[in-house]
Amino acid sequence: MADIKVENLHKEFGAGADRVVALNDVNLEIGGHVFVSVVGASGCGKSTLLNILSGIETPTNGSVTITQAGHPARAGYVFQAARLLPWRTVMDNLLFVQTDRSEETRRRCQHYLDMVQLGDKAKKYPGELSGGMQQRVGIARAFSTEPDVLFMDEPFSHLDAITARSLRTELHQMWQETGKTVVFVTHDVSEAVELSNRILVFAKGGHLTEDIPMNLPFPRDSSDPDVALAKAEVFRIFEKIGALAVR
Amino acid sequence: MSTAVAPTTSPPRRASQAELARKAQRRDRIKAWGWRLAGYLFFLSLWEFSSGRLMDETLLPGPTAVFATFGELWQSGKVPGAFATTLTRIGIGFLLAFVVGVLVGMLMQNRWLSGFFKDAVTIGVTTPGLIWALITAIIFGNREAGPLLAIVLTTFAVITVNVSEGIKSLPKDLIDMAKSFGVGVLKRNRHIVIPHLAPFIFTGVRFGFSIAWKVTVLTEVFSSSSGIGFEMRTATQLFRLPEFLTWILAFYILALFLEKVVLEAIERRFFGWRTTLKA
Amino acid sequence: MTSTSPISPTRAPSLTRALKSPLSGRLTFPLVCLGVWLLTIQAVTTIWPFAVDVLPTPWQVAGFMWDEITGNTLAPQNMYETFWISLQRLGAGMAIAMVVGGVIGLAMGLSKSVNAFFNDWIVAILAMPNLAWALFCSLAFGFGDTGPIVAVVLTGVPFVVINVREGVRNAPTDLYDMARAFGVPRERAIRHVLIPSLMPFLFAAGRYAFALGWKGLVVAEVFGGQDGAGWTIKFWYDAHRAYGVIGYALLFVIFALFFEKFLFDRLSRRFFRWRPSANATAEDPAPTDQQRTPQHG
Ligand SMILES: Nc1ncnc2c1ncn2[C@@H]1O[C@H](COP(=O)(O)OP(=O)(O)O)[C@@H](O)[C@H]1O
Ligand SMILES: [Mg+2]
Repeated sequence: MADIKVENLHKEFGAGADRVVALNDVNLEIGGHVFVSVVGASGCGKSTLLNILSGIETPTNGSVTITQAGHPARAGYVFQAARLLPWRTVMDNLLFVQTDRSEETRRRCQHYLDMVQLGDKAKKYPGELSGGMQQRVGIARAFSTEPDVLFMDEPFSHLDAITARSLRTELHQMWQETGKTVVFVTHDVSEAVELSNRILVFAKGGHLTEDIPMNLPFPRDSSDPDVALAKAEVFRIFEKIGALAVR
Repeated sequence: MSTAVAPTTSPPRRASQAELARKAQRRDRIKAWGWRLAGYLFFLSLWEFSSGRLMDETLLPGPTAVFATFGELWQSGKVPGAFATTLTRIGIGFLLAFVVGVLVGMLMQNRWLSGFFKDAVTIGVTTPGLIWALITAIIFGNREAGPLLAIVLTTFAVITVNVSEGIKSLPKDLIDMAKSFGVGVLKRNRHIVIPHLAPFIFTGVRFGFSIAWKVTVLTEVFSSSSGIGFEMRTATQLFRLPEFLTWILAFYILALFLEKVVLEAIERRFFGWRTTLKA
Repeated sequence: MTSTSPISPTRAPSLTRALKSPLSGRLTFPLVCLGVWLLTIQAVTTIWPFAVDVLPTPWQVAGFMWDEITGNTLAPQNMYETFWISLQRLGAGMAIAMVVGGVIGLAMGLSKSVNAFFNDWIVAILAMPNLAWALFCSLAFGFGDTGPIVAVVLTGVPFVVINVREGVRNAPTDLYDMARAFGVPRERAIRHVLIPSLMPFLFAAGRYAFALGWKGLVVAEVFGGQDGAGWTIKFWYDAHRAYGVIGYALLFVIFALFFEKFLFDRLSRRFFRWRPSANATAEDPAPTDQQRTPQHG
């Protein structure tokens, strides 16, 4: 469980005619065992936000601090495409991001592979797995470092609906069991409403425009009228700010 | 690299962004050209410096000496004749190789024939041109058939490989689409098949040409009594090394021009859509 | 098709299938070559006696090759010795070419300025005929090992440069970002991301450098050697033994095929086990890529 503090965050790419403002003066605080969804149309800076939070990119202006009880927090990342090393086995992919290779670390990696039901695939190469399995390896890798905070960038958008659905359930259980802070980027409102405690809405130009709490109890079933109502409500907000290409 | 551009003549505060971008682009281009020129300068002076210092001047004449020798050769009047002979040989040999290459590439769509020609193509690609030059030289002596056969044997495989690759990747979906709209065979060929195959064939031509001219010169060294290769052989026999180097360099520059400038310009002009599609 | 004849119900269709298979075509090819060869000899002796200087028979060539393979030769060294000498030169030249080309290619891939500096000269060296290198090296370094080795280096370097540059340009930035997000230390990222991602390009470079360097070496040995495989074929040529030249040429083909099929294909399958299509690509004839490569120049 980490505390994330984002102050006056500003990010631009390119210069001159190619200049793009990806994030425009974003202020944000996230803390505790929460599942925060970041939604918005494509190109409004969601990935950039995660990349800055995880240290892949540096901000043009402003600051980001992520702490865990006063210390710098450890982070895990699940990407849109699994981003596995194709030339390493599944187990070696998990070991790649560990700080050591002790017997205990291996056991931990195996444990998380078991958790995503890939315990028997440890010796396979990513190319031998289906897209859904690869993404599950990506999830296991993110959990296997036992991070304080987990970043996820549209992790299910490349998968077919059925696989995505079962992975969502799996992920959510893991989140509840392990008690991490999750920042989850998606462009899918239903997904956001079903999974999260809080929804951040970004609009074109990198503005953080809405911060919506979601206090329905988990697990949320999509046929539950309360959930459907919440979705309708979020959609209405979107239409108001014109932020979204509705699915 | 400090290109001596004094503190940028600060434009009136609101120079449009597009202009700034264009400026940045131009700066990049100028910088690349600068490095390119530096490369030319460096290698040419390295060559000039080596001649007479690192290596005997008669063994390695510098660029200026080569240029002077070319002037002398031109005066002697041998140059146009030798060039014409060799270019004709390349032209005929390459045409034959092209016909054979395309034919084999088309025939290889048949499963049995693909097996039949498989080893022929592999041998054609892997065997050094020199081997064919020696074999044809010893069998045919100084008859014209020798160099031509050598060119065909070294070059056809490259063209075959490209043609059959093109045929293999024919856009089935587009052809099916055309069929579903009731487009006839001729029209389909004209608008789908030929535009698809043309770049592949052209690539084959480009690579084929770069192989063909080298083999031609090589066969001339062994067996011809005219052409660039023959002149090179005569020069080495008389130990006129600058002359030898000048012959090969002069022809090399011509071939490079044909290969890199003419053929690539044609390719860009006619098959430009291919690269823009990729980008 | 479903003939239910009680006697060997599958034999007839499977026989026609075998006859129509690419394998039968492949086996037919040498037979047709042999036939064409014999017919040509027939035609030359009866119709056009002056069409050729000399045309050896297949039996002469086969006899020659048998003698060579059994180590019984009239040349100063038997084929095992000559090919071994050439192979050593090829190996040395390739090793140098890989190092030099690797460094230049890396620098060219990383910096636009370095690329502009070298690019045209790499293209020029690539387009230079082997003959020019061979003659130049034999003149510059005399008759010995140095000339042929330098010729191999000069033929091989541009291929290595082009492939390594391509590898650097295709660096998997998404994987670097991943490593960064997980805080993976730099040297581990180099070892597990950068180097493996360059491997296919280095391998391709080695493969082309080998094939092309071999051709360059042969020419260099013909013009500037005193031993080695290239020199020996020239020996038969100068001795005016046509069957010797053809027989030796066939040994060259066998040698090249051996390395292509048995060495590089095996190595590639071993190295790139992780590639789901590794086996499929190994089946493809290497020339496709090989011909493709100069395009990048
Ligand atoms: N590395 C980059 N270079 C230039 N522009 C970028 C880069 N990364 C993102 N952008 C631009 O920043 C904006 C936000 O991108 P991104 O954060 O990827 O959006 P999202 O993830 O919400 O779809 C887009 O307009 C995109 O084109
Ligand atoms: Mg994104």
